[in-house]
Amino acid sequence: MTEPTLLWDDVRITYAGGNVAVDGVSLEVERGGTVGLAGESGCGKSTLAMSVLRLLPRSARIEGRIVLQGEDVAGMTWGRLRAVRWTEAAIVFQGAMHSLNPVRQVRHQVAEALALHSTKEFPDSAARLRRVDELLALVDLSPAKGRAYPHELSGGQRQRVMIAMALACDPELIIADEPTTALDVVVQAQVLDVLNGLVRDRELTLVMISHDLAVLAAVCDRIVVMQHGRIVEQGKAQQILTAPTHEHTQELAAAFPIIGDPSSRLVVGRNASPGSPGEAGVSTGSTAEAGRAVLEVRDLTVDFRSRGQHVRAVDHVDLTCGAGEIVALVGQSGSGKTTLARTILGLQKPTSGQVLHEGKPLPHRRGALKAYRRQVQYVLQDPAASLNPKHTVYEAVAEGIRIHGLDDERERVIRALTRAELTPPEKFFAAIPQELSGGQRQRVVIAGALALDPTYLVADEPVASLDASVRGEILALLLQLRRDLGLGALVITHDLGLAWNIADRVVVMHRGRIVENGAVEQVLLDPQHDYTKSLLAVVPSKLGLR
Amino acid sequence: MTTSGQAAIRARRRARFAEVVREIASHPSAVIGAALLLVIIVLALLAPVLMPMDRLDVTQVTARGNESPSGGHWLGTDPSGRDVLGLLLWGSRASLLVGFSATAIAMVIGTTFGMAAGHFTGLTRAVVLRIIDFFLVVPSLVLAIVLSTVLSRGLSTIVIAIGVTSWAQTARVVRAQTLTIETRPYIERSRALGAGDRHIIGKHVLPAVMPLVMANTTLTVGSAIILESTLAFLGLGDPTTFSWGSMLKTALDTGAATAGYWWFVLAPGVAIVIVVLCFTLVGRALEAVLNPTLRAR
Repeated sequence: MTEPTLLWDDVRITYAGGNVAVDGVSLEVERGGTVGLAGESGCGKSTLAMSVLRLLPRSARIEGRIVLQGEDVAGMTWGRLRAVRWTEAAIVFQGAMHSLNPVRQVRHQVAEALALHSTKEFPDSAARLRRVDELLALVDLSPAKGRAYPHELSGGQRQRVMIAMALACDPELIIADEPTTALDVVVQAQVLDVLNGLVRDRELTLVMISHDLAVLAAVCDRIVVMQHGRIVEQGKAQQILTAPTHEHTQELAAAFPIIGDPSSRLVVGRNASPGSPGEAGVSTGSTAEAGRAVLEVRDLTVDFRSRGQHVRAVDHVDLTCGAGEIVALVGQSGSGKTTLARTILGLQKPTSGQVLHEGKPLPHRRGALKAYRRQVQYVLQDPAASLNPKHTVYEAVAEGIRIHGLDDERERVIRALTRAELTPPEKFFAAIPQELSGGQRQRVVIAGALALDPTYLVADEPVASLDASVRGEILALLLQLRRDLGLGALVITHDLGLAWNIADRVVVMHRGRIVENGAVEQVLLDPQHDYTKSLLAVVPSKLGLR
Repeated sequence: MTTSGQAAIRARRRARFAEVVREIASHPSAVIGAALLLVIIVLALLAPVLMPMDRLDVTQVTARGNESPSGGHWLGTDPSGRDVLGLLLWGSRASLLVGFSATAIAMVIGTTFGMAAGHFTGLTRAVVLRIIDFFLVVPSLVLAIVLSTVLSRGLSTIVIAIGVTSWAQTARVVRAQTLTIETRPYIERSRALGAGDRHIIGKHVLPAVMPLVMANTTLTVGSAIILESTLAFLGLGDPTTFSWGSMLKTALDTGAATAGYWWFVLAPGVAIVIVVLCFTLVGRALEAVLNPTLRAR
């Protein structure tokens, strides 16, 4: 048997303060193998991957053996380690925006690795830049793109530059840390294609980290699921995706529903059980359709002016949201979804057209706008950022109550927190956001909105920055609120699976225009517009199956 | 707010305060600065006890003028025979008083204008920014001289003149911080909840810029003390009170420096340097503690 490219042998990694990040992991990656590491944030998957190149902070203590190409990583001298980094194993970091130097052309950044490691093959900068052009071609970028600065490239292009950088010195092993997180579905599919092609053509060994099982299944043969620093399940990608045995894997799998699967329609998360849901969903859907229109958008256009150029973010959009109806607004990043939401909330002035609430146009006067804002509430994308880090939960929830000068502050806060399922509410009063988990923070934001007894919610990517299992909880909460309070919501998302999960109606937006609008089953199962079809084709759950 | 909630908040504030104190304690220069400052402030407060005013009365002094330092007069005497150490003690009162109150005025104006320039848009911002720019480019010493000649003479005039001329830097810093805070999503959430300008500034922006203002305060006190000495040296101070600046002026007027009476020139000069240095040391440390991006890693 040949020697494995990478071997973790009973590895334990402890951070200062006794925090065990990785707890006794043994794992082998054979030559040419592709392994996906799955798990929620904080499960130790990134720590495990970074340990291969000793990139962990100094406070981390590593026990056990990590063997790279037959050599113990812990025993390497500093000089040897430097040589190994990038020539034998390279990393594609997450967040391509932050991993590139904003003030240098990307080709020089790719050439940096060559200048450090391959001075023999590429002695001068001309030779190195020629090699950079080859590398960029490998990831489907033209040499001209090499002369661009990071901000001139799209998210997907930047991620491809990062991959080109990792390939620079022909490493045996590539570690990709969440390479597609923060990219929208279309771009994600492109990046995964590039990785797939490289693994096939160059026989690379790949370790990929993600919280999305479907993304891993699209590239990797084998998937390893981690929880609390331990491996809880591993096996063939297809088997993990379709027939998970461990409870945690099932949770992860359920978070990314398969569109068209009736068992995940209008039911979310762990309580998903086949059979019960379909009819219930259809009936609520039909009552919602009968409801009166709460919000109406008529021929709305929003222009931005930037550096003398007019950008039309929203282009003659008409949209109606009924009482108690959950509408999913779907589109790629940059399609104008968020601008539309901000205009509906009166946070952005429309260039032309109208927003109507209960049949009346949105007022311009501040006082009247304040009254409107009591009715329609906003839930933002990133709960960590949308709460003032210095305010306690009580203050955050009471903020709206105080602004509107309502009485019974304490009762209202308790009621809102209870509705948002933060119980017992008194326990959370004095907590500050950083003491809460991501899901709890988003519940606080939702409680803050509920405290004003709104009639409609506008939620901008409410679960995009949350972990898989929490995602299900928050979506279940939205469904619960609709059932108990008749609260409708306009949910903005790039995730069609989410629309399938909770929405009554899907509105597809492309370049500021609405290209398709209809009931979920109709749009997602029988798309008419080409753009909707292309979105559906790149949903990760499909990528895994093709 | 519940009592338990308030107790928890108090406990957290105490913990945060303890953390700041610990962090400052890890800067040895800041500890030295703070200790020296404390000594100086205590001495200034105790001046009437240590050196009763009648011992500095020109009609009652027994010593000759321009005596060199000796056991009786540690820092010698001035041209009228008064004890230089006594003058120094009484002068510190004026210097510190003017330093603190002028800084307080500057901070209030600077924070208000800074937040206004950062928060509002359009015409308001343009006007406020131009006002800040005006005070930034006009040499503050010249402006302070003009102000103290126009207004009636006295310590309060000096305080106002210095306060009104040294807030522009703070306003700029506060504006920059306000701009970053205003882009945070929680401001957007607050607006969507129906918040007006007053709520956003009072609840979100002000608490966030406060640490910066605190750090700026300690740094401004130093320059206010220098400005006060300068004004007094130029003869624009209150003639009825002692200050380090007026001591230097007397020294110059009586030719103490050229006549070799070094103790009368050096003493107030060194005193000014030490106090300003102390404030700068503490201010720098405070800045590093409250603004973690400046902290050495």
